[in-house]
Amino acid sequence: MTPQELSVRNKQELKGEEHTRAGRTYLPDVDICETQDSLWLWADMPGVDEGSIEVKLADGVLSIEGQVSLQYYENLAPVYTEYNVGNYLRRFTVSSDIDADHIKARLANGVLEVELPKAESAKPRRIPVAVH
Amino acid sequence: MALLHFSPSEDPVSGLLTLQRELERMLENPLGLNLGFSGRGVFPAVNIFSDKDVCVVRLEVPGVPPDQITIETQGRTLTVAGKRDSTAPEGSGFHRRERDSGAFSRSLQLPDDLDVARTEASYAHGLLTLRVPKKEAATPRQIGVNAA
Repeated sequence: MTPQELSVRNKQELKGEEHTRAGRTYLPDVDICETQDSLWLWADMPGVDEGSIEVKLADGVLSIEGQVSLQYYENLAPVYTEYNVGNYLRRFTVSSDIDADHIKARLANGVLEVELPKAESAKPRRIPVAVH
Repeated sequence: MALLHFSPSEDPVSGLLTLQRELERMLENPLGLNLGFSGRGVFPAVNIFSDKDVCVVRLEVPGVPPDQITIETQGRTLTVAGKRDSTAPEGSGFHRRERDSGAFSRSLQLPDDLDVARTEASYAHGLLTLRVPKKEAATPRQIGVNAA
């Protein structure tokens, strides 16, 4: 038997913001980690395809947004539901040390991966100590 | 296997809440659908829909590539198992960590009127879709009236 190591986090709805387009918006779960050269972000956005995703950095705010098409559900009658289906949006304030021109984003298996390279000035530098 | 489990490391309150939700769910149990004792909160989350001649089961499995998923059927029971790998590179520090990694397995016991053995599975953008055909007798049929 396979062990059960994962549990589900209930999707949190985005509050305090209204969109012109109707429909609910949820906060995707994210991992953010830092390496020497970059800041990496992964966001779970199941149901979002490459064409419906937007990653942008403006005024020090990184926003990731994904639209989910509800077309598939049009003729289906729900019998039992555990998760909500809706768009994803989450914003993060990032430090100004990000090299905005070289941000890379990629989507694979419903997970958005964003690499935010650090600007040269923000990378750690080892200062050699001269021995006399 | 995803049976209700309480590990001592877990917050006892959240364990009780899980139990409470379980009981609520069993009492409201809509169409006699038995999803195993462990229902909500077990990965992956499942939504079940009914179409004319098919039952559609959609599971959210972001970050699990299709070749890491196994689907097994036995009688009325359908089991989805797999593993989600961690994406973080070695030797990095986390600022936020909300996405778990590890193995999962979830069994669903589906109603009698579905032909579980003929389930078709497809995967796209982190969503696993299972289409379980309804048995002939369960699909609605129109009966023509013969004029005497």
